[in-house]
Amino acid sequence: MKRLFRALFTAGSSRAVPPLVIGFFFLFYIGVAFFTDETLITLMAFTRNSFVLALILALIPLNSVFRLVGETSRFMLMRSTMSGKNKEGLVDIFDEVVEIPVSATVPNLENRLAAVGYKTCRTGNVLAAWRGINSFPVRLFFLVGTFCIFTGILITTTSRSSLREMVVEGEPLPTPDGSGGIVERITLANSSGLILSRNLTMKVTPAVPGSKSREFGLYPPSRYGGAFVYPRYLGLALYLRFTAPDMPAGADTHCFLNVYPPGKEDNVVIPGSPYRVIFSIPEPETGSDRYISYMSDTITFGFKLLKGNDVLFSGSVPGGGEFVRDGFRLALPDVRRLVVTDLIYDNGVLFIWWSALLFCVAAALWLPIRVFSPRREMLFRFDHGVMTACSLAEGRSRKHAGVFHEMLDMIDAGKAGEE
Amino acid sequence: MAETIIETNGLTRSYGDICALKPLDLQVPEGEWLSVMGHSGSGKSTLMNLVGGLDRPSDGSLRVGGEDLLALSEDGLARFRREFVGIIFQQHHLIPYLTAVENVMMAQYFHSVPDEAEARTALERVGLGHRLKNRPGELSGGEQQRVCIARAIINSPKLLLGDEPTGNLDNKSTIMVMELLKELRAEERFTVIMVTHNQEVAAWGDRTIYLDDGVLVREERMNS
Amino acid sequence: MVALKLIPHLLSWAGILLVLLRGYSERRSVVMKTSITGFTGGVAGAIILFRTFPETIPFGSIKTALAVSFFLLWVFSVAAVYSSTARRVPISRRGRFVNTSLCAGAVAFLAGMVAGAICTCRFPATASNTLTFIVLVLAAGALAYALVFCVRIIERLLPPSFTVSPSGMLIAVVAFLLFSSSSILRLDLFSPLSMKVMKGIHDFVHQFMESILIPDHLFVRSVVWKYIGILFSKGVGFWGGMVIWFTPAFLIVLAVNFERLPSVAHIRQGAQRRKLLAAAIKARRHRLVIPLLSVVILAAAAYQSSFPSTEYWDPKPIPISANQSGEIIIPKKGEVNLEDGKLHKYLFKQGDREARFFIMVTPEGQLTVDLDACAICKPDGYGQAEGSVICYYCKTLIPLETVGKPGGCNPVPVVFSVKGDNVAINGMTLINTWGSTVQATTRVKEGGK
Ligand SMILES: Nc1ncnc2c1ncn2[C@@H]1O[C@H](COP(=O)(O)OP(=O)(O)OP(=O)(O)O)[C@@H](O)[C@H]1O
Ligand SMILES: [Mg+2]
Repeated sequence: MKRLFRALFTAGSSRAVPPLVIGFFFLFYIGVAFFTDETLITLMAFTRNSFVLALILALIPLNSVFRLVGETSRFMLMRSTMSGKNKEGLVDIFDEVVEIPVSATVPNLENRLAAVGYKTCRTGNVLAAWRGINSFPVRLFFLVGTFCIFTGILITTTSRSSLREMVVEGEPLPTPDGSGGIVERITLANSSGLILSRNLTMKVTPAVPGSKSREFGLYPPSRYGGAFVYPRYLGLALYLRFTAPDMPAGADTHCFLNVYPPGKEDNVVIPGSPYRVIFSIPEPETGSDRYISYMSDTITFGFKLLKGNDVLFSGSVPGGGEFVRDGFRLALPDVRRLVVTDLIYDNGVLFIWWSALLFCVAAALWLPIRVFSPRREMLFRFDHGVMTACSLAEGRSRKHAGVFHEMLDMIDAGKAGEE
Repeated sequence: MAETIIETNGLTRSYGDICALKPLDLQVPEGEWLSVMGHSGSGKSTLMNLVGGLDRPSDGSLRVGGEDLLALSEDGLARFRREFVGIIFQQHHLIPYLTAVENVMMAQYFHSVPDEAEARTALERVGLGHRLKNRPGELSGGEQQRVCIARAIINSPKLLLGDEPTGNLDNKSTIMVMELLKELRAEERFTVIMVTHNQEVAAWGDRTIYLDDGVLVREERMNS
Repeated sequence: MVALKLIPHLLSWAGILLVLLRGYSERRSVVMKTSITGFTGGVAGAIILFRTFPETIPFGSIKTALAVSFFLLWVFSVAAVYSSTARRVPISRRGRFVNTSLCAGAVAFLAGMVAGAICTCRFPATASNTLTFIVLVLAAGALAYALVFCVRIIERLLPPSFTVSPSGMLIAVVAFLLFSSSSILRLDLFSPLSMKVMKGIHDFVHQFMESILIPDHLFVRSVVWKYIGILFSKGVGFWGGMVIWFTPAFLIVLAVNFERLPSVAHIRQGAQRRKLLAAAIKARRHRLVIPLLSVVILAAAAYQSSFPSTEYWDPKPIPISANQSGEIIIPKKGEVNLEDGKLHKYLFKQGDREARFFIMVTPEGQLTVDLDACAICKPDGYGQAEGSVICYYCKTLIPLETVGKPGGCNPVPVVFSVKGDNVAINGMTLINTWGSTVQATTRVKEGGK
């Protein structure tokens, strides 16, 4: 049982797991590519619906957990070895292990090592020397990052669900359970950020009286009722009143217009009539922001009135105003800002964000350590006339090896001197 | 009974009309310290160059360390010089803009790969542990010559050639250098051939040979 | 004379042979014999395939073999990096297997076979005429014999310290095969690879941005979006393809670089230690030569495939305009004969909008009018080669039989009518189809979503 467990652990913590799994998915991708153009989406759909594929993908985070355990225990083993407590399995921990016969005492190497920048510590018959910063913490960051990113991918592919909703000023936030508070105001403002040029906020008064009102921004998206509020596009909601000579009673309609960026056309069919109105927002004059109309409270629409496929006339109508001609009347008593928003239920996103952070930290730590102060270690253990000398270097290994060899030469010369 | 490390038969080197070395028969047993004396122009340096693989003889045979130097290719000769011989000259030939330790590492580099720790140890052995980072210009003549010794022995040669290494040194420095060489020879057990004009320096050796106009005229064994 | 065209292919095979001979220096005769057998077998097999099946099958199977070899190269290069960075490197069973004469023979045989098959692909059609065929085979055989002879001499002249690692052999073999195939349009891997990579990267970046909820471009600073936009551009396919193309070589170079030096701590003489280290370092450097050379060969292959030397029928578009009722009328037998089986390009302008299209008769005698653009690539247009038209952007060959049918990289068909001896096309429809097609192929670039 114990042996089986060991074997499983060794296999699971093998460095070969991630490339094998990625290679497998890559092969699968190539296979899928023969049959469809939407390869990635198909592959993701497969993974979502197949327990086996998800399990294979899950091998990577599992592997990083195993490796985390493995490397931690290796680190502990290293520490106890350096302090002289452990003397097993040296070959597995160090790069290089040699044994040389020596006389009864370990010669004094400390001064020599100190002169070339090594710190030393002698406990009983063991002399440990080291310099540089251990990269173990960086490994931790990296492995946790790997765990996070693949867990995130796994969760996202298998469990993401999203709802596309219209968030309209003055109306309740459309959540599936209907518990959303009223959207008080949507503001689009210029931002001087490094990455974002515009800022969108949706201020929502709470559904439950007494609790604080909330604001939803762009990035990182806030969560509401377990879902990320992910604003996608801008639009406008209209209340439209239309009368025509052959339609004296007129018609009222609510509609959503997808007219941004300016110049984009969207049409509204007047219910129960052959009429259609095509709205668009004219390009603002040069120099002002393209979305100035959305930012300010005054919007003027350009429109074309169509009967069937024939254009009757075109003109422009301000929000809150009306347009009258030849017995036709088009009034827009109510225009509200609207944001097409995805409500995304997906906890994987958090993992992916975290992994990005962890990878950045790991890289920011690793590079200077590797370049300026890589870890180098030596261990000399004296047992019954045999000196076991071990060495390990994560960088600058040639120079380190030079010092190591010098120490060995000194030990050997010490022996020769006593003969 | 020590093996013979150098064996020459009718070794000749002539430069056009000038015959710098007349047919010379010489045997040097391994581990011996041989002093070579003779007046200026008698062919001492010529002999050293031939034995050290820096030059090729015009005629005769020359075996050093079991290798027939005449049969070696250019590459083979270069490898022989790299791995078998260490040479110290009267002029130090150190690279002026490199430090002592770097000068020694240079020799390692031409032999194989540089190793700073080992170069440092070598300089410590010649008593220059405190002048590792000084350039040759900042060292005295005796110190420079000791850097040369460190450089010459760094690749563990079997044969150490000295062409008047103490020619520029005063008495005290000369004795220091000679003592150092003696110590090193005791540890490393290399063979020494040393050209000198100084009878006292020659007396450090086991045997002295005298050259005159390229001819071995006399040979003298020291009894220490 | 025609046989000279085979020289690059034969040279590639000779290169493979040279590398294998050096890599398996103890098994020279096995390598020599199997490689020659493989080559002859490959030639014969390919000829048989070409005679029994339509051309697509032999081309397809050789291309598959190349793709598989490239994939294997990837696998091996990753494995090489992994094993050379491992803490302890046991002499693996794989390592020992690579050195058996079975493995040597198999590699030489397979490589020879593919190389031979590629050679045959140079003249798929000539294989039908018996006399030229025999002359060709004889000439090629003589050339091959001369090359093998040269290879043997060159191999002897190389310094003995110059060795090739197993991964070095593999990359050299694959690089030579890809180089050899890159000059044959229908075997070329690089261009389709770039195409797939472009699609893959677009999809992947899109999904990734979606998955971490990056805001739409309207909120993002235009400078920043320009950089993100690079990932959605057409060029990303080429660069991504380059990365995939060259990475195995660099991985192998890295693997060689990461190889641990031997442990010399047990030796008590500095000079001795350094000598061993220097020898190991020198050997390592020598092992780098072949992978680095392979990079050059791969680069040559990529170059050949991006700028093929084949001549295409590529007429200059003839400017044309519509009549009063907005119709373009082109006589079937006017200045140009539309029914000569070649494609004829036209350029239609209306105001500041324009559209390029071509008219041709397919081998089945069907007249077809198509845009000079497809639904997926940048509208670089088409040229005509033997039996097919080629999309200049992605180098996909479209058999003439399928021109006029929509889908994939086929030219987008345009509705037209035949009125008497004229072809009539509605100018408005044409402009609109062009507009929507070209827009579709640039949409990704601008929006991203
Ligand atoms: N490269 C050369 N070309 C021509 N003649 C040379 C060359 N090298 C040496 N000689 C001549 O060979 C002879 C021996 O020179 P060598 O340098 O061996 O003398 P030496 O005994 O070392 O003298 P010193 O004690 O002055 O150093 C001299 O006559 C010299 O002129
Ligand atoms: Mg002289």
